[in-house]
Amino acid sequence: MRRMRNRIVKAIVVVLVMASAGCTTPEKTQIVEDPLPRAFDGKPDLNGIWQTIGTANWNLQDHSAAAGPPELGAFGATPPGKGVVVNGEIPYQEWAVEQRAQNFTSRFREDPEAKCYLPGVPRATYLPHPFQILQGGPKIMIVYGFAEANRTIHMDKASPEPAPIDSWMGRSHGHWDGDTLVVDAAGFNGQSWLDRAGNFASDTLVVEERYTLLDRNSMRYEATLADPSVYTRPWKISMPLYRRLEADAEVLEYKCVEFTEELLYGHLRRQTGG
Amino acid sequence: MRYQSIYRQIRILGAVILGLPLCAVAAEFDHLHLATSAVSEAVKWYVEHLDCAADEERPKIVTCGKMDIEFVARPSIGGSQGTGINHISISFADVTAKMHQLEAVGVSGAGVRLQRFDDGSTLKTAPGLGKHGFIFDPWGTRIELVQDPALLGFHHVHLQSVDPKAALKWYADVFGGEPASLNGELNGLRFDGVWLFAEEYAEGTPAPTPERAIDHLSFVLGNLDDAAKQWRDQGVDVSDPTLPEGARTTARRAFLAGPDGVLIAAVEAGWQGVEEVAQEVQQTTTTAAYDVPMTPWGEPDIQGVWTGNAAHGIPLERPEEVASDSLTTQEAAARRERGTLGSIWGYEREWRDTTLGYDKLTPSTQVAMIIDPPDGRMPAMTAKGQEIAASTLDYRTNRPLAAGPEDLSTWVRCITRGLPTMMMPGVYNNGLQIVQSPGYVAIQAEMIHETRVVPTTPKPALDGKIKQWLGSSRGHWDGDTLVVEVKGFNGRAQYQGAGDSLTLTERYRRVGPTTLEYSFTIDDPTIWVAPWTGMFNFKKDDDQYELVEYACHEGNYGMTNILSGARSKERQMNEAGGN
Repeated sequence: MRRMRNRIVKAIVVVLVMASAGCTTPEKTQIVEDPLPRAFDGKPDLNGIWQTIGTANWNLQDHSAAAGPPELGAFGATPPGKGVVVNGEIPYQEWAVEQRAQNFTSRFREDPEAKCYLPGVPRATYLPHPFQILQGGPKIMIVYGFAEANRTIHMDKASPEPAPIDSWMGRSHGHWDGDTLVVDAAGFNGQSWLDRAGNFASDTLVVEERYTLLDRNSMRYEATLADPSVYTRPWKISMPLYRRLEADAEVLEYKCVEFTEELLYGHLRRQTGG
Repeated sequence: MRYQSIYRQIRILGAVILGLPLCAVAAEFDHLHLATSAVSEAVKWYVEHLDCAADEERPKIVTCGKMDIEFVARPSIGGSQGTGINHISISFADVTAKMHQLEAVGVSGAGVRLQRFDDGSTLKTAPGLGKHGFIFDPWGTRIELVQDPALLGFHHVHLQSVDPKAALKWYADVFGGEPASLNGELNGLRFDGVWLFAEEYAEGTPAPTPERAIDHLSFVLGNLDDAAKQWRDQGVDVSDPTLPEGARTTARRAFLAGPDGVLIAAVEAGWQGVEEVAQEVQQTTTTAAYDVPMTPWGEPDIQGVWTGNAAHGIPLERPEEVASDSLTTQEAAARRERGTLGSIWGYEREWRDTTLGYDKLTPSTQVAMIIDPPDGRMPAMTAKGQEIAASTLDYRTNRPLAAGPEDLSTWVRCITRGLPTMMMPGVYNNGLQIVQSPGYVAIQAEMIHETRVVPTTPKPALDGKIKQWLGSSRGHWDGDTLVVEVKGFNGRAQYQGAGDSLTLTERYRRVGPTTLEYSFTIDDPTIWVAPWTGMFNFKKDDDQYELVEYACHEGNYGMTNILSGARSKERQMNEAGGN
């Protein structure tokens, strides 16, 4: 590549190391290598392909292994997992507990994931599919493997503009809080689910996401969900994201629409031989 | 006879001008201004469908009976309904025959949209007007058709007002006009040839007319200075008479704020309109060196929100009848308008102009997309290519009923438009967002929402075992040009018959601050005897355009409707067949 300057800058940080008690020198300056990759502007460099490991997409809360549709054998079963909800409970309003239970019952047909619908936020993050972060210009783009979902994170708008219309993926504004990328997302259409267990939010959902690099290959992902129509208070999920380390890693095309056509339109097919 | 009750005048204008008897300025209701995105198409439409007369000397004007309608090439932010001018009306000798004729036109293309009454009929009887019905022009003006043998051609303007009586009074006081009653049943104001009626607007305040489909009314009179002075004395909000830039004569113009948000122009006798300000012609080739900006990490910066709107309407192949190398701006505008109307007849202009923002960009004057071969035509097809083309044509001609989703196009199924089709300007949602990071360019098409992440550092292409709808894109920078080679298509979203043996080479080059030149080379030796190349420009529109989430599959009611319609049709056919 002709014009690209290959500038991998090893950033360094100056750390003040406090002397331990009894030492004669009260403090000294030490230069250590920054564990974080940095972008051209000194911000943590989140570029790359990332994915969660875990079972948050099956159920954000603690769950045992469970059967799926019998015809799918173990393919459709739910793997067990520990919850990612900080403090364990999702503070649903009373009516919402009921709604969540109904969602659970109808999940194999009604979960938007089964229909290859856009996954919404934060679910897009912990679907069992990789996603790529493109960070460089005034917009950060996240390209998800699932259902051609993508998000534009506006880093160039000083104050959040309300979403012009509600949408599945909402509208995202980002800023840096120290070394953490903070993304405020709102303007959702309220049709997304949060997992296959029927956890949900409404169109008044506001999500604050925090992406914090821990080292080159991992980051902490936290999302606080506030939705006064559904919950009694904001609540938070937290999980690590892992870099896909394969040298040839790429987000492959996963256009799942056609896999849902039987589910959605099968009853409208021409019946032959009947 | 002028309507001049001092008492009523005071009631309207307040006590300030108490006791000042005023005669209305003697003005003629001369013409009105409709906004359109393509003047020549609008002239054609009014001549063809409403029997108005075109005027070779004044190409923006049609004469309908005693009234001139002047079209203004201007973005409209909505139709005429809901403003202070609800509709215009044209009178025919036989309105029933006219309505039948217009119904037969259909809504397709630059067709005619009918407004049906609740019972499904298109004509009804109204007090004073007799038999009447409503249609819409393709640009959002509501038009009433009436049958008044005493006044054929342009018949009336129908205002909407919070206080219809006061509104008519205002027009009488300001411009003259004679209070009269049509057939003793409908009270209005008579201006020389035409009527002015007003009906009550019950939904709050009518929206201002400027920038709507009926932009403003125009009255002509002798001397503007005297009139303006008198109007001011009457308490009318009027601008200073001026000679607008580009005016064809020395006649001047002033604008008045009429009641209910109606904009009114008053012009002096001899007014011949304003010369169109020369439009910027889109550059299809740029020779002047442009210093392409660089990203902070040193790659050419092609980021931003671009749209293919200006390129919409360019045919792939050069039409045989076109001799010149580029169209005039007017021809280009007309071509795009034809294409737009032909594709989205079901949508209103309001939606097109506000949502699509077409009028913000001058249409491309490019004659054809194909630039190589230089004759602008595709090279000869192979036998296989011809076979596929014939079967495609056959399918399009016969359109067999779909047995299931698989029988429909991948676009209808919301799967993909394929490549290079996903880059092609369509009739709406032409946004293209490009975001770069070191070593990657993400190219996101708004339509269907499809994103390709193109590596610009050497990366082996997929080895051929993994096939994708959009193939595998691999890029590199050649100077300022991003060259993307795409292959490894699954062959199920074909382009002109080319499928899994297609190699597509795209070139993206920023040739100006707001222009991204895009070319695509199609190489599929199984379909064509030689490769060929097309080109068009994207225009940058960061400030105003934001890609919307085109959640196509999530709202694909069309699929349900097409399939259930097909099943219903089959049932009917079976029943008819005696089963």
